[in-house]
Amino acid sequence: MIEFRNVVVVYPNGFKALKGINLHISEGEFVAIIGPSGAGKSTLIRTINGLVRITEGDLIVEGKHVQKLKDNELRLLRRKIGMIFQSFNLVKRMSVLRNVLVGRLGYVSTLKSLFNLFPKEDIEFALSNLEKVGIREKAYVRADQLSGGQQQRVAIARALTQQPDIMLADEPVASLDPPTAKVVMDYLKKFNEELKITTLVNLHDVELARAYARRIIGIRAGEIVFDGKPEELTRDVLIRIYGKWQES
Amino acid sequence: MSRWNKVKWLIITLLVIAVYWWAVTGIDFNLQRIIAGLPKGKVILERIFVKSLKYIGSPFFWEMVMEMLKTLAMAYFGTFIASVLTVPFAFLAAVNFSPYARFFKMLLNFIRTFPEILLAIIFVSMVGPGPFAGVLAIGFHSVGMLGKLYAEAVENIDMKPIEAITAAGGNFWQKLVFGVLPQVFPHFASYSIYRFEIAVRSASTVGLVGAGGIGVPLLLKVQGRNWEQVGVIIIVIIVTVVIVDYLSAYIRKKIV
Repeated sequence: MIEFRNVVVVYPNGFKALKGINLHISEGEFVAIIGPSGAGKSTLIRTINGLVRITEGDLIVEGKHVQKLKDNELRLLRRKIGMIFQSFNLVKRMSVLRNVLVGRLGYVSTLKSLFNLFPKEDIEFALSNLEKVGIREKAYVRADQLSGGQQQRVAIARALTQQPDIMLADEPVASLDPPTAKVVMDYLKKFNEELKITTLVNLHDVELARAYARRIIGIRAGEIVFDGKPEELTRDVLIRIYGKWQES
Repeated sequence: MSRWNKVKWLIITLLVIAVYWWAVTGIDFNLQRIIAGLPKGKVILERIFVKSLKYIGSPFFWEMVMEMLKTLAMAYFGTFIASVLTVPFAFLAAVNFSPYARFFKMLLNFIRTFPEILLAIIFVSMVGPGPFAGVLAIGFHSVGMLGKLYAEAVENIDMKPIEAITAAGGNFWQKLVFGVLPQVFPHFASYSIYRFEIAVRSASTVGLVGAGGIGVPLLLKVQGRNWEQVGVIIIVIIVTVVIVDYLSAYIRKKIV
């Protein structure tokens, strides 16, 4: 469960990215967040795992007040929250498997992880997650040898390896071509349904949001201007979110 | 051109002439002496680069090859110590990791301003003559140069994978080992090899002040005006430096 109560985020340069967000997301939901560039989509999902700290209000994730957590407590929360990114954010010079094992860093002891002494079960679990996204045979290949779509699948496997309750996806398909984007979105949907992972996806593509999400949140200039089912996302609503709307 | 501009140009021209006058008179420049010295120069160069050739393969030659190998060992050890010592400096001097980056960059610049030969003189007085003083001089100077290059490598890393490790619950050390080192290590290695290349040249000369290596026999033979043997030493140094440069370039291309 994720709950925003009057959450405000002001960046050090004075920019007010979120202006009093109130939002409740239940377990197992698949939510798409849409809105123009700079509306605060990225900021919104980054507050959930504390990558961006909130300035005012209260943010409760898995029963914890995120803004009150100390570094160590925040890390324990983060290991239950998977995250994937627009540019995949893999360590390019490391093997695919080692990238996936990053998902275990919150679980193994620091010393063991530094010397690459992951328990056998962790390595097998990482491999099984690569299997789930259909690229187990790439486990020992360097990450930068993979195509964009494959890299995003590695990133999903990395997130799954955290055994997450929540999955955050920040424009996960913005740098992929449409067929590859569909593959990635299908995986997110599949794991949301099969593993009951609460999933929040930032999307700039309204059609993708309609196709995959059961709930869509529209934000504009740091405020929620729409929160409803895909069917309720009418032309008028899109104009409210984007300022103008051209039916494609 | 305005009147003021004309005056300005006149002043600048006079100043430039004055600087040249000062430089030429100051060093006792004398063309006649160059011309008078030419035959002597020709004889010396002949002895160094031509007559020396018949010594190639002689016991003295092999002795100098051994000295050169010791010199390489000095350069290698000095560079190795510096490479290890520099790593913490690299992070302290990188703006994306350290709030005191400016201070540490200045410190590294300061270290770099000491010429190796001067450091060698200091270390020879401190620890006595021999290769150990040379290694210390090379190591100290290398920290200055490598620190700057390493810090730039740290500043150029992609922070995005590190954000991903943070998001997965990784702590500081895990971010360093999984996110930062894989990105910077090839650059560190490449810079160290390049620095080794330079260290080979300095290791060959620090012997001139008693800090070990092939510079020691070089100094003795120069003092004895034994140009053929000086030639043998110079040829050994040049061939070694060329080989090291070539290998270094080859390895660096493979790494990065």
